[in-house]
Amino acid sequence: MEIVTKSSPHLRRPQARVTRMMRDVSIALLPLVVFAIVQHGLTALWILLAAVFSMAVTEYIYYQVTDWLERLKEAKSETEKSIRDLKAEKKELRAEARQKKTEEAKEAYASFLSDYKEKLAPLKKELKEENKKAPTDENKSFRLWNRRFTLTNFSVVTSGVIYGLTLPDRIPLVVVMIGGAIGILLAKLIFGGMGQNIFNPAAFARVFVVLSFGTLLSYETFVADGAAGATAMSILNENIFDSTVTEHYGIWTLFSGIGLPGSLGETSALLILVGGLYLALRRSFDLVVPLTYIGTVFLLSLSVMFAQGLDFWFPLVHLFGGGLLFGAIFMATDPITSPVTRPGRIYFAFGLGLVTFLIRIFGNLPEGVVFAILIMNMFVPALDYPKWARNRFSVRAAVIFSMVVVAAIIITNVGVHYVG
Amino acid sequence: MITGSKRVSDYKQLMKELPTLRHVDPEKVYINLPGERCPKYTVKVEKGDKVKLGEIIGERDGGFFKQPIYSTVSGVVEGTTEKTDPTGEKIECVVIKNDHQDTYHESITDRPDSVIADFKKKDFVEILREKGLVGLGGAAFPSYIKLDTDKDIHTVVINAVECEPYLSSDYRLIKDQPEDIFKGLSYVMQAVEAERGVIAVKKTKRELIEVLERELARFADLDIRIAELDDYYPQGWENATFEKATGIKVDVGTLPMEKGILGFNVSTCAAVYEAVKHNLPVIKRHLTVNGDAVKFPQNIRARVGTSVKELIELCDGYREDVDEVQVIIGGPMMGKSIPDDDAIVTQTTTSVLVFESAEYVEEPCVRCASCVYSCPVDIQPVSIMNAVKRNDEKSAQDLRADRCIECGLCAYVCTSKIHVTDYVRKGKALLQNK
Repeated sequence: MEIVTKSSPHLRRPQARVTRMMRDVSIALLPLVVFAIVQHGLTALWILLAAVFSMAVTEYIYYQVTDWLERLKEAKSETEKSIRDLKAEKKELRAEARQKKTEEAKEAYASFLSDYKEKLAPLKKELKEENKKAPTDENKSFRLWNRRFTLTNFSVVTSGVIYGLTLPDRIPLVVVMIGGAIGILLAKLIFGGMGQNIFNPAAFARVFVVLSFGTLLSYETFVADGAAGATAMSILNENIFDSTVTEHYGIWTLFSGIGLPGSLGETSALLILVGGLYLALRRSFDLVVPLTYIGTVFLLSLSVMFAQGLDFWFPLVHLFGGGLLFGAIFMATDPITSPVTRPGRIYFAFGLGLVTFLIRIFGNLPEGVVFAILIMNMFVPALDYPKWARNRFSVRAAVIFSMVVVAAIIITNVGVHYVG
Repeated sequence: MITGSKRVSDYKQLMKELPTLRHVDPEKVYINLPGERCPKYTVKVEKGDKVKLGEIIGERDGGFFKQPIYSTVSGVVEGTTEKTDPTGEKIECVVIKNDHQDTYHESITDRPDSVIADFKKKDFVEILREKGLVGLGGAAFPSYIKLDTDKDIHTVVINAVECEPYLSSDYRLIKDQPEDIFKGLSYVMQAVEAERGVIAVKKTKRELIEVLERELARFADLDIRIAELDDYYPQGWENATFEKATGIKVDVGTLPMEKGILGFNVSTCAAVYEAVKHNLPVIKRHLTVNGDAVKFPQNIRARVGTSVKELIELCDGYREDVDEVQVIIGGPMMGKSIPDDDAIVTQTTTSVLVFESAEYVEEPCVRCASCVYSCPVDIQPVSIMNAVKRNDEKSAQDLRADRCIECGLCAYVCTSKIHVTDYVRKGKALLQNK
């Protein structure tokens, strides 16, 4: 028996695990996956599998390649180091000889030069031989399982399923895979892997697919019956006050998502809320973010409703019609791409709601959730800046924030007045 | 778990009910010469000297105060030796062989109540200074300096929260000697002429509240109240206790005395009674031997100077199937892990914990902000960690790393099992070195 020392605290919370958190998100997504398969058939399953598979495989290849490069560097280092030392010594002696101009320094340099080449030659030879036999070296052996691979803690599965659920059902599998690979590579891996990414990989992948393969994504393209193909949001995109949207889809249809066109997982508000409830009960996400996000959109649409004399369908369609609930509960709550303080998260979620609503009303696109998430992701470092990030609302911050909220409502309504 | 979780499971169920073992007679005691706040000392005894219980054997020098060292047994001085102190360092100790007679020194005599009733502040201060009483909760700050405040004190708060998990020494003390605590509190109130006294206990410790309320009936003439506090960690942190018990918020960095509050740990309060009434220094103290790597955890009332090894053996020693253990003096959240078990019980030792050494696999930080939500002093441990990693002094300053009280909650709640507290400590050091 041995006595070891460690620094306090000596206890850890047993329930606090990254795996538990990520697994909970995957479990919360399960009802949506089942719903998507029931609604869209096996195509949905193939799309989801393609999304997860492309992300996992890309990550696997990336880590194997970086590990391979690292191992290559390690094996070289011994001999290379001695060569580098020798060259540094030469440089130093030469500099001394030139600066001081004393006989001693010159002599030292000359004597060093005389056997310099003789010293260098065998080292270079050694290095060459090492490089030749390197692949059979023991520490360069290929490891099948990579320790940084995040399949074990459900991180990549969660990203993949979320990405898959934001896609429409008729999208070619090749496009799904390209999007997934690019999303995980450019949004997560090159930033340094899990915990280091600035952008939500799922949102990034989805936006990449929208921008690169836009024509394949529009819901009408593949649907035979044109009227049933348009989502509630794209009807509103034509005319933001088009109340016929409620004739196409009743509020109950929008809420339950049965028979509704749209992305695989974004249609059923009911099941998304069930998933959100599960996450809230397990405390695996921060409830502040989705509440503020949804609340902001609701508040803005409510103000527009009153200003324009519309009926109550307007805010409800904005809540249940698009990808707002899905984005708010599963994408905006990704802790890695959120600020770390509670006020920061409230500002962040308010920004999400504002940008989403502005894109929906003024933008060319029918839906703004993923764009809003990527845009607000960029503001996270600013919201976390040490100079002003604080754990609690100060009176000053609360006053400024409420002024910003009022200003946002006024500007939105003025804008809507001119557009409408 | 992304949540502002200040709940720490307390693992006390079994220990609370175990009776206190009276471990009164070690063969030898080792009295530490340098104390936690006193690096210098003088010894007044030599090898072969006969000493009595409660006799002065030396003096510690803490710069702005001096502190006598008392013998805790009667017997023969055997010289000095080196032992590990609660902070893990080797210190000089006087070895006294116990003659098991417990002959008290002549100065140890009871004071009649009528004499104490006339005491003023300076009398109490003089007694506490003479008896070398320090904060027994672990701070080791001389109590007489605290009592000798020139501020106007209206409330005396007795901190019996004991929020550290695994610890039950204060719990047992209150159950065993509730009267001492009330009397000690009444002396302190008399000294500073405070109007109110508050005893702060955790709401979940029902039995303690019952015991205290029964005792309170006997002190009806004093304005003493029992404050029931929520079961949070670190509720026993002085400022948190004061805020919850009296409603007065004390900021980090200001002295509670300036707000009219004087706080004492419950065991210090009992020791005040011993010192004033019986003229005794701290001879014995309650402590807990607990943890998953010790065979039979016990509550023990041990003499100051008892060897820790002896106490662990008293609990049937270490479990045999464990390869690596940690021996911790103090609680599991803030206690110090010591390098060997050749340590001694000092005045401030609240517990000896023996844990099986656990390895935690660190994962990358996912910025879940559990540490930020949990922090009792409202700083952002995760941001400080990132600042320390890039050696960014200015950010550490902006993030107010110096406010950290090292309660350990950030590392406890961390989703990725990162030792966040260590990083914040480095951040504090970064600011201090400037």
